[in-house]
Amino acid sequence: MSIKVRLHPILRNLAGGQEVVEVTGHTTGECLETLESRFPVIKQMLRDKRGQLRRYCSILVNSKSTHPNELTTPVKDGDQIDIVILVTGG
Amino acid sequence: MLTKNDLTRYKRQILYTGFGEKGQKSLNQSHVVVAGLGGLGCSAALYLTCAGIGHITLIDCDRVELSNLNRQVLHYEEDIGEGKPFSAAQKLAKLNSSIEVTPVFKKITEHNARGLIKGANLVIDGMDSLQARFILNKACVAEGIPFIHGGIHGLFGEVTTILPGKTPCLACIFPEVPHRKASFPVFGVTPALVAILQVTEAIKLLAGFGSLLTGKMLYFNGETMDFTVRNLVKNPNCQVCGTKKV
Repeated sequence: MSIKVRLHPILRNLAGGQEVVEVTGHTTGECLETLESRFPVIKQMLRDKRGQLRRYCSILVNSKSTHPNELTTPVKDGDQIDIVILVTGG
Repeated sequence: MLTKNDLTRYKRQILYTGFGEKGQKSLNQSHVVVAGLGGLGCSAALYLTCAGIGHITLIDCDRVELSNLNRQVLHYEEDIGEGKPFSAAQKLAKLNSSIEVTPVFKKITEHNARGLIKGANLVIDGMDSLQARFILNKACVAEGIPFIHGGIHGLFGEVTTILPGKTPCLACIFPEVPHRKASFPVFGVTPALVAILQVTEAIKLLAGFGSLLTGKMLYFNGETMDFTVRNLVKNPNCQVCGTKKV
């Protein structure tokens, strides 16, 4: 099963410049774990010390919010996950 | 009614197909709130003033510091220590004396946000904290006022236009107000570029032409020089604009 994860531009440098990474998994959490195992530095950006998703990160499946099931939403072949990060500065 | 001076000052934009004198009148009759007079807010206010927005309200509670001057183009060395809305308003009044500029030296809070933006046609997000952005997002939804969000970090920026009731709001995508450290890296060019994109959205929205970044987030990465657009979908359970609003 192949799921495409589109990386927020701020994460792309951490994944060798890739915009889209193909991963496997049955849930958003499993897909993120696959991604993080390939690019460990992304994990530091997405997770806090307890392994929880940071609040400034949002996970969308086919453009729809997965809140409050960011890491447990089921995904199927062909789905697209977007990792969205809200930036602070003004 | 456009004056002879207006017709001269705004001649080059009036020439734009689909804008014309009608578009200019719309801008002249508009009231825009610029929330935050930092990197985004300064550049946004500058170009709103150039475009001839009839009334601009400038809101910020900070004073000018030396470390602001790499990006906050309406504040000069002589303004260090001055309240940012006053510093900015002085420059804008010299640039365009035919518009009204109202400086408001206040912190935007849950309690005063709706009152500060009430009656405006549009709010430009120039805030430097996520908490403040979410307060404004909620106030704009409550008042039915379009909100043009901009955010920056380093050489990276983002923009989206929120039309209350019609498009996703910030809380549709980020249901819980994020916390993040206030200090962030930035080159002056990043907020300048993002602010100009915000004002481009404002001009089109107020004058009623072109298409908007509604339901879309535009990302700019200055390091790689690429622009990306992502679709955003309204969350029916959103606590700010959906059925679960509080």
